[in-house]
Amino acid sequence: MSNKNNQPSDRQESPDNRRNFVAAAATVLAGALALLTPFCAGFIAFLSPLFRKNSSSKVRVALLRQVPADGQPRSFPVTTKRIDAWTKYAQQRIGSVYLIRQSSEEKPTAFTAKCPHAGCFIGYTPGDALFRCPCHTSAFKLDGTRSRGDDEVAPRDMDQLPVELRRVATAAGNDDVVEVWVEFIEFQTGREEAIPTA
Amino acid sequence: MSSVLTKFVDWLDDRAGVRTILREMFYERVPGGARWRYVWGSTLVVVFLTQMITGAFLWMFYSPSAQTAWESVFYIQYEVSGGWLLRGIHHYMAHAMVMLMGLHFAQVVWDGAYRAPRELNFVIGLILMHIVFALALTGYLLPWDQKGYWATNVSTNIASLAPVVGPEMRKLAVGGADYGHHTLTRFFALHAGILPWTLVLFLVAHVALFRRHGLHAKQPSRAADAMFWPDQLLKDSVAALGVLGAVLMYAIYGGGPELTAPADPSNPYNAARPEWYFLFLFQFLKWFPGELEVWGAFVIPGLIVTLLFLMPWIGRSRAGHLFNVGLLTVILGGIAVLTAQAVWADHYAAWFPRSDANAARFDASQAFLAAEEQAQREAQRVIALARAQKIPPTGALTLARTDPYLQGPKLFSQHCASCHSHTDDGESADPDQQIVPPEPRAPNLFGVGTRTWVSNILDPKQVNDSDHFGYKGSPFADGTMVDWVQSNVGDIAPDQLEKVIAALAAESDHPGQMALRKSDTEKIAAGVQLIKEEIGCTDCHKFHEVDYEGGAPDLTGYMSRRWLLSFIRNPAQERFYGENNDRMPAFGPHDNPSLNQLDDQSLELIVDWLLTRWYKPERGAAAAPSK
Repeated sequence: MSNKNNQPSDRQESPDNRRNFVAAAATVLAGALALLTPFCAGFIAFLSPLFRKNSSSKVRVALLRQVPADGQPRSFPVTTKRIDAWTKYAQQRIGSVYLIRQSSEEKPTAFTAKCPHAGCFIGYTPGDALFRCPCHTSAFKLDGTRSRGDDEVAPRDMDQLPVELRRVATAAGNDDVVEVWVEFIEFQTGREEAIPTA
Repeated sequence: MSSVLTKFVDWLDDRAGVRTILREMFYERVPGGARWRYVWGSTLVVVFLTQMITGAFLWMFYSPSAQTAWESVFYIQYEVSGGWLLRGIHHYMAHAMVMLMGLHFAQVVWDGAYRAPRELNFVIGLILMHIVFALALTGYLLPWDQKGYWATNVSTNIASLAPVVGPEMRKLAVGGADYGHHTLTRFFALHAGILPWTLVLFLVAHVALFRRHGLHAKQPSRAADAMFWPDQLLKDSVAALGVLGAVLMYAIYGGGPELTAPADPSNPYNAARPEWYFLFLFQFLKWFPGELEVWGAFVIPGLIVTLLFLMPWIGRSRAGHLFNVGLLTVILGGIAVLTAQAVWADHYAAWFPRSDANAARFDASQAFLAAEEQAQREAQRVIALARAQKIPPTGALTLARTDPYLQGPKLFSQHCASCHSHTDDGESADPDQQIVPPEPRAPNLFGVGTRTWVSNILDPKQVNDSDHFGYKGSPFADGTMVDWVQSNVGDIAPDQLEKVIAALAAESDHPGQMALRKSDTEKIAAGVQLIKEEIGCTDCHKFHEVDYEGGAPDLTGYMSRRWLLSFIRNPAQERFYGENNDRMPAFGPHDNPSLNQLDDQSLELIVDWLLTRWYKPERGAAAAPSK
């Protein structure tokens, strides 16, 4: 296998050296191009999720009469259209919100049930004074603030969502129906500030 | 014959040099003779090969997408002949691999087998260990069941905390902002393609370097040197068989690997925990409040892993080696303590009674255990449905979401249980179906449409109790119906009353009544006649064509699907309570469904649940795998 005899042995044969360098460089370049081209084609496709933007949508979650003004949290599913790659779900539950209405207010407050710590579903048992996350023991008061402040595992209070009331005239024309709409924003977990996932 | 074989081997040897290759493979010197303590490396190779073999066969059945992942794993587990065993071996062998790797690693550190010239090989070994962890993590998600889905969700959310590129890393791993098809395709490509082949690459280097340096013999030698073939290889093979035996025991007698209900983004799995070998990380995170989490998730684990990679250089001196052994002990001990803590915290309520002092801890554990139990029941139910009814193209989640048995209690709790209870006092009561509001302010709806229900209402003793018209604040407690039952029912002959009860119950779409409509026709017909003409029901109630407009609810089709649907949509219709309806909301009065409190599907689920119109598996047929 050895080809020592064929190899230029010293520097005097510089044209050959130069020729060898060019050959080596060309080999590396050709090989790299041959392999990197398919790799790059794949890699660009691989990165495609980074180029897609994620937008939040306004969703009707309840009728106002379903949220009595008693300061107690009530859980409502968030159901809306969702597209997962090639599949379109006309109606899919994408999350859950807690609506709370104080006696002095018309508009309820909405908290997303997603824990700001690691994204588990925060639970609430009727009558309890706290929201409790089943995963890493975070607890929140009914106003969404962390029960133990900065000692809590969750880095921030529960995320509040913008609420909008919409009055809809019914066919019968007697009582207007008031709908509760919530802008369902997904926030990044684990951070002190609430940053929407873009 | 043997000369033909010899000739063939000669021919092969001339062209491929097989004798040299075989000699190099098998005739490795084992200083101090073959020993059991040397088996772990080879055992790990066999375990990995087992995963490649079982994995390749599982691949022939598995289909990664949100509508087919759980479904195909279900099919492997319950329908494919021997599928449960194949999946069982793959599942438990993964556990064995993690354990054996820990053992192999601990032994290398303990023996100081990382010292020059083996530093590079030690580093390669650590890389292999991380690849195995990555395989374990990606494999956990692939069944797309509640457990894997929610646990992996948490771990990828934590990964998004990685400094600088965290959110982008998460997006790339998940294949978008949310979990979906592309999470599965990516995890599967990693699990079955990229990771195993990277592992093979490093494994080849690992074994080649091991051969180059020779075995790190444990001193003092207890015997004369021996050869790898057959002495050590025999021990290795026996050890590999032992591991396989243990894995088979688990796969056959351990109940098989779990398959929880299909992943449902809207149905939180409150018992989400990582696999046991990552439980220590889960527990570790509880120590780091707020933004300190980065320390628990990245900085401290990162420092420890860096120290591991530096072990060969730290261990050059005797003190350094002692430090490494100390570090190993602390890590293994720490893992043991954290794992025990996590298990302790989750199972506390199963072991200790509740007291004021431990209330918070007890309740959290109780919630975990309840969630786990409920998840198991849901899983069994969906599996029973999938086996009996097969899976629609929209996936097994559709089975779960359109099943009155599963959805009824949830919808009832959310929409009805602030007033109504649903409790069965019978001995064979199904615990899943018991719903008790803190303060019932309407009738108990258990058993609506059955003869028992009708006979209770027509029982002078029961009509006014809290399960019927005598609930708290009832305007009917001393109303016409209660008064009529208490003053007149006693005068009706028992056999006649029985006929009336049979006839009224037969109006319902309760499955039992639908059967009786066919088998008990005479009695029912007689009862219909009594209701219409003799005992006085129709003085107030409409019943089929007999209508004196008495103002009480229409009994035509009483507790049938249509009757109940129409009633719940709007109980204040003239047909029902009209102006007398004092408390029950109209859940679906509008033609435009978006104005209604309850959509049509939910209404139907509640009604079908109340009437027990759901699939009832034969006893014992629920979820036993097809062994």
